[in-house]
Amino acid sequence: MSVMTMEHGFAPGRAKSLKMPEGIALSATLHVGILAADLLGLPNLFRAPPLEETPIAVQLVTIAPETKATQTNPYRPMPDAKPEPPVAPPSPKPQAKPEPPTPVPEPPASAASPPEPAPPPPPKPEAATPAPPPPPPPPKPVQAEAPPPPPAEKPRPEQKVDPAAFDKLVKNLQQKKPDPAAFDKLVKNLEEKKPEPAAFDSLLKNLTRQQTAEAPDAPPQPHRVAATAPPSSQPKAPLGSQLTASEIDLLRQQLIPCFNPPFGAKEKPDLTADIRVVMNRDGTVQQARIADQAQYGGDQIYRAIADAGMRALRNPRCSPLRLPPDRFEVWQTFTLGFNTRDMQ
Amino acid sequence: MRGDRLVWAAVRATAAVVLLVIAALPALADLRIDITRGKPEPMPIAIPPFGGGEAQVGSDIAQVISNDLQSSGLFRPIDARAFIQNVSAGEGPRFADWRQINAQALVTGSVQPQGDGRLRVEFRLWDVIAEQQLAGFAYTTTRANWRRIAHIIADEIYKRITGEDGYFDTRIVYIAEAGPAQKRIKRLAMMDQDGANHRYLSDGQSLVLTPRFSPSAQEITYLSYAQGTPRVYLFNIDTGQQESIGDFPGMTFAPRFSPDGNRLVLSRSESGSSNIFTFDLRTRKPSRLTDGNSINTTPSFSPDGSKIVFNSDRGGSQQLYVMGADGGEGKRISFSSGKYGTPVWSPRGDLIAFTKIEGGTFYIGVMRPDGSGERLLTQDFLVEGPTWAPNGRVLMYFREGRGGAPRLFSIDLTGSNQHEVKTPGDASDPAWSPLLR
Repeated sequence: MSVMTMEHGFAPGRAKSLKMPEGIALSATLHVGILAADLLGLPNLFRAPPLEETPIAVQLVTIAPETKATQTNPYRPMPDAKPEPPVAPPSPKPQAKPEPPTPVPEPPASAASPPEPAPPPPPKPEAATPAPPPPPPPPKPVQAEAPPPPPAEKPRPEQKVDPAAFDKLVKNLQQKKPDPAAFDKLVKNLEEKKPEPAAFDSLLKNLTRQQTAEAPDAPPQPHRVAATAPPSSQPKAPLGSQLTASEIDLLRQQLIPCFNPPFGAKEKPDLTADIRVVMNRDGTVQQARIADQAQYGGDQIYRAIADAGMRALRNPRCSPLRLPPDRFEVWQTFTLGFNTRDMQ
Repeated sequence: MRGDRLVWAAVRATAAVVLLVIAALPALADLRIDITRGKPEPMPIAIPPFGGGEAQVGSDIAQVISNDLQSSGLFRPIDARAFIQNVSAGEGPRFADWRQINAQALVTGSVQPQGDGRLRVEFRLWDVIAEQQLAGFAYTTTRANWRRIAHIIADEIYKRITGEDGYFDTRIVYIAEAGPAQKRIKRLAMMDQDGANHRYLSDGQSLVLTPRFSPSAQEITYLSYAQGTPRVYLFNIDTGQQESIGDFPGMTFAPRFSPDGNRLVLSRSESGSSNIFTFDLRTRKPSRLTDGNSINTTPSFSPDGSKIVFNSDRGGSQQLYVMGADGGEGKRISFSSGKYGTPVWSPRGDLIAFTKIEGGTFYIGVMRPDGSGERLLTQDFLVEGPTWAPNGRVLMYFREGRGGAPRLFSIDLTGSNQHEVKTPGDASDPAWSPLLR
C-alpha cells in the first residue's frame, strides 16, 4: 500500500487517513454518478437515431416564416385544451421534459458527422464504358419554399432545463448516498416523460417558472389555462402513450393519397418499409429516415417502397400531418410502415 | 467487512445500472402507424432535353426515354412547355421549380462528344420531393448507339422507381405480313421494342411462323416452309446463317429454347398425333417427352428449366398441362369450359400466359403454374400468341379485329395499359427478347 500511495504522490500521513476501501467506495460512487450521466443520455441510443440530425431542422426553421403564414395550423384548437383540466399540472411538463434530452444535446455532436445522404451512384456494370458515375451534387439547396415550415417555436426553455436539472441530479447523487430506487425513479420519469413524481417536478419547477417569466410569449397559454381550469369529468387522452384509433385513421387517410406504391410492391404486399420520423410541433416532418438501410441497399422493391413512402411523407399535398397538437410528446418521434397489404 | 462494503457498493451500482437500462427500454415501444395501401397513379416525371455539346442527340435521347416510360403506363412525362428551369444550362436542379409543376421525379443529363468521335452520355434521376439523387450513370458509346443508351437509361429509371427490372432495352422479332389472303407473304422481321430500327430477316420467299429468341438474344428459332414441309430452323442474327434442326421425319413446329439455351423443345407430327421432343443443340440428339395418340404441342419451359407447360387434347378438349422437363404424365392445370393454347411461362416463373377460346371469342390471360388465379386480360375476334417482356410484367400479343388486319399490342398485367406497338405493316406472332446486355 505504501508503494501505491507513494506512487500516487500522497504524503504518508494523508495516505493513511484515506483508507483503501473508502477510496474504492468513493470511486464507486463517482462511477455510479458517471454511469448515471451516461444513462440519462442512454434513451437516445434506444430511440430513433434520426434525432442526431437535428441540425437540418434548424435550417428549416429559419425558412419557416415564409411558409408559416400560409399554414395557420388548423389543428391547434384551444377548445380541446380547456376541457382537460385534470391533467393540468402535468401537461406543461411533458413538453418541458421531452425536448431536453432529445434535440438539444445532439446538434453539436452530430452536426459534423451526418451530413447529407447523397448516395453515390453505384458503378454501372452495364455502362458501355467504365465511366464513373458522376458524383452526386449537393442535393440540399435548401430552397426558400421547402415544404416543412417548422415554426420557430419555443424549444429553448427546455434546453436550459436539461443541463441544470441533470447537474442537480448528479449532485444529489454524489452528495447523498446513492439511493438506487429514488434515482431510478427520477431517471425513469425523465425517460418516460411522465410528469407525476414530485421529486422531479420540484427540480424543474423553478426553472420552468423562471423561463416562462423571461419569455412570456403568446403560445404558452394553453398550459396556464389548463392549470387553472376546474377538473373535467373527461379523462385526458394524452395520458395514453398512443394515439386514438380515429387519430391514426385520420393520419392514414391523409397519407394514402400521397403514397404512390411502386409497381413491384404488388408482388410483396407484406414487405413493409419502415420510416422513422421526427416531427416538428406543427405537424411538419423535421427528419425522416429509412429504418433498414441494409435492406434499402440490397432489395430494389423495398427501396422503391421506401422511396415512395418518403415522397408521401414529404409531399406538400400531405403536409403538415394531421396529428393532435396537444400530444406532441406522443408523436414527436414515431415509425411509419409503408406496404400494400390492403391493395390486393 | 470492508470487502462486504465493497461488494455491497458494487451490487448497488450494478442494480442501478440494470434498473436504468430497464427504465430506458420503454422508449423502444415507439408509436407505429402502418400505411397499408396507397393510390397508384402514373408518376409525373420531367425529362428535359439533355444538355452538353450535342443538343440534337440530347433532345432525341430525352424523347426516347420519355416515350419508353410513358408506354409503360407507370409514368406521366410532363410537357416540356411547362418547365420553369432550364436544366440543360448545366446548373443543378431547383427542386422548387419542379415541384411547382407537380413533377415528382426529374431526369437531367448531358451528351458530350469525345475526342475519338464517341459520345459520353450521363444522366441523373432526382427525387424532386425528397430533393435527392436516386440514380446517376454515365455511358460512352458510338454515336449510332444513342438510341440504345436512351433505352438503357429508361430501364434504370424504371427500375429505380418501380422496384422492377426494366424491359426497354429489348427487341421484338415477329412475322411481318403483306399481300392478299390467298397469297400472303410472311417475313421474319425484327425491331427495337419501341418499333425503331426495323429490319427484315427473311425475304418472304417461304412462309415463316412462330419465331422465338434464344436466351442470349443472338439466335432465333422459328418454323419455316423453306423446303416444302414445315420445319424448325435456327437463325443467327449476327451472321444471318440459317439451319434446319434435326433429322426428324415429318413436320416439326412450335419450337422454343430452354432457359440455358442448350436445347430446343418442339412438337413433331406423328400420323395424326403430335408429341413433344427436346433437341440438344450440342449433341444434335432429340429426346421424346410425350407419347400417345393425342395432340401435344406448344411447349414452354419454366424459367428454372425444371418443368414444361404445354397444351394437349388428351382429356377431350384442348387444355394446359405441366410436366417435368424430362417428360412424364403431366398434370392438367386448366379446367374451364373453353379451349387453351400457346402457354408461355413467365420469366419470373410466377405466371403462365395463354390464349383461350371460348364462345367464339379469343382471350389472352394468365394463371399461376398450378392453374389457380386465372385472369383474362384482353379479348377480341382474334388475340393470340402472348410473349413476355423480360421483367414478366408486360405481355405482347397480336390482335385482329373482325375484318381487320393483325397488329401487335402490349398490355401490362393489370390489363389497364394496352397499346399498339407500331409496325410498318401487318404483324403477328411477336416474340420479346431478353434484355440485351
